[in-house]
This record gives sequence, structure tokens and C-alpha cells, in this order.
Amino acid sequence: MEKQYKHWEDVRDLLRNWREENCRQSEDVVDLWNEVLANHFGKLGDEGWLVLEQVFIAALDCHNMEVANFCLSKLNQEFPDSLRVKRLKAMKYEASEKYEHALDILDLIIKKDETNAASRKRKVTIYKSQGMIIEAIKELTDYLRIFMADQEAWMELCDLYISQQEWNKAAFCVEELLLHSPFNHLYLQRYAEIKYTQGGYENLEVARSYYSQAAKLNPKNVRALYGLMLTSVHMASNSKCPSQKKKESIKLSEWATNQLSQLQDSNDSKLFSSQILEGMGNLQIGNDSKN
Amino acid sequence: SSSMNKYIFILGMVLLFHAAYSAAQHRSYLRLTEQEFTSLPADIVLQTIFSLLLTVFGVTMIAGEFKEIRSNIDLQKKTWKNLNNRPSFYTFNHRGHIFNP
Repeated sequence: MEKQYKHWEDVRDLLRNWREENCRQSEDVVDLWNEVLANHFGKLGDEGWLVLEQVFIAALDCHNMEVANFCLSKLNQEFPDSLRVKRLKAMKYEASEKYEHALDILDLIIKKDETNAASRKRKVTIYKSQGMIIEAIKELTDYLRIFMADQEAWMELCDLYISQQEWNKAAFCVEELLLHSPFNHLYLQRYAEIKYTQGGYENLEVARSYYSQAAKLNPKNVRALYGLMLTSVHMASNSKCPSQKKKESIKLSEWATNQLSQLQDSNDSKLFSSQILEGMGNLQIGNDSKN
Repeated sequence: SSSMNKYIFILGMVLLFHAAYSAAQHRSYLRLTEQEFTSLPADIVLQTIFSLLLTVFGVTMIAGEFKEIRSNIDLQKKTWKNLNNRPSFYTFNHRGHIFNP
């Protein structure tokens, strides 16, 4: 494996990149740690503690308890009274499915420090892992009443509502995200997908406008193009559609189809083939019952 | 940043201070000879503008890479795979532990 010959500085930069991009490549992280960084840990300096936390979480993902315990003990040695390390200990209990222990530790942290946002979020995750989605939603809404600007939490709440098929509430969560970043084509596409799933002529109109905005911001967004094509086709074939809008919809669907075939023919075929599967997941089968 | 940009910046600052000092000297000369002050001599003005441009150029080169001004271009590189990850909410009760008992 070429990774064995990677210089430790490259590995450190790669891990930093993954930390910033929120990549969840746990097996690679643990492998890189075992092969390269474990031997060079002293040279990492202050960044080493961040790396330890990252490796710890990756090890919990892979259920590699040796590495996890090693990282935790090192962190505990350096920061004995830290609430952050206590939270990591709670995560370890969570990974071993000892949820009561984890909840006790988290409650202790919250009592000590009312403003500790991360521990409250871990409580939500514990409820989610146990399958108690409704409690998780309640906990998360209480959290969001206090920390209203937390984009991660709004995204999580949106997903929880989608799993419970509460489309209106999920749409509300994405609207909050859209307020923060109106130029993010992925959020626009997500909102359009929720509206499209709700169905009905008005929702299809809204979905079509959001899909077109997403496609305008990023013409290579295959999911948005597929969505645009499907919504315009459904709208055009709907009886409620006035004839002018019908022509508009047909033109839009033709444009979207052209874009898609162009992308398919272009050299970015690798880009297209992984996204085509995502796009396929977006296709809906016969939603005309809501007319 | 290369040392050339640092030299340009330092040169620009030195010329700027020199122009300011000569302008102050010019005004005190006018006060001593009891002449009216209408405007600064042209060479001081030119030196000020030139040194300003030099300093601004030096600072922007030292500051580093420019970021793209269009807000959507930066986001085009992001994928849903990474944007959807919420590190504070990672759960661990997935199938991962079967692959590594």
C-alpha cells in the first residue's frame, strides 16, 4: 500500500483537510493513524490533540476499541478536568451501547456548564441511536429554542422530521438553513425535494422554482436537473396548469434534458455516473393521487 | 510570499513617509518665509500617489491567494456527501462494527 510511504506531514495535512470538510472516512483515518502518525505523535504539537479526537471518533466508528481507549487515555492525561474529554467518554459509552452511563455523564456536564451546546446535541444523538425519534425531536426543538443559529442542528431536525414524514416541519427547517446561506444550491435542492415529495400542484410549482434556482447556481447539479425535468413534466401534464405555464414547463424540461445529455457526453463521465445513482433515487413513481 | 513583495512594500512605506515629511517641511518653509499656502508642489503629490500604489500592491501580494468573488462557484465543488455530515450528531450503532469485531 502506498500509504505506508506517505510522509507524516502529508498525512497530517490530509487529516486536517478531512476535519474541515466533515469527511467521514473512518477506516482510512484509523489506518493512517496506525501506520504513520502514531509514531510521529510528538511532532504534531497542539494539533495533535485535535488529531487524537478525530482518530478517537473514527475508531469508535470502526469499533476499534484499542485505538479509542489509547486516544482517550492520552487526552485524559493531558486535560484531566476537561468537559470536552468527558463528552468523548460519554461517546465511548454510547458506542458500547451503555446509554444510561452516557446520559449520566452528559447530564453532569450540562449541570456544570449550562452553555455547553455539544453535550446537549449528544443527548439528542443518544435518543436517536435508541430509536426514540420523538424524544429526540423534542430534545432537539428545546435545544434550538436556546441555540437558534446552529445550522447543523437545523439540518438534523430536518432529517428527523423527514423520517417521520412531517414534510411541513422539515420544510420549515430547510427554510431556516436557506436564510443562513441562500446561495447554497444543495439546500435549495433539498427544499425542492421536500416540496416535490409533498405533491399537489402548488407544491410542484414551488419545487420547480427552487430546482431551477439550484440549477442556475450550479449547472452541474444533476439532482437539481433531474428534479427540474420531473417537476416540469408533471406540471405540464397536470389538468390545473394554465396553457402558458404549460409551454414554460415544457421548455424548462427540454432545457434540463439537454443539460443532462451534455453532461453525459462530456468528459466528466465519472462525475455523472456517481450522481446518476443519486438522481435515480430522486425519481418518484406516480404521484398523481394528490390532484 | 516572496521577499520581492516585502521589499516593494517596505519601499512603498518609506517613500510614503518621505513624502509626508517633505510636505511638512514645505509647509514650515512657507510659514517661515510668510508665503501663502495654496497647494503642495507637484513632485510631492506624485510621490505620495506613487508610494501609495506601491504599498497597496505590496500588501495585496503579501496577503495571499485571492478568493473567488462569485459566492456560488465555491459551493459548486461541495457535494451533499460531505455537507450532510453532522459531526456533533454522529451515531455509532451502524453496521461498522461487524466489519471489525
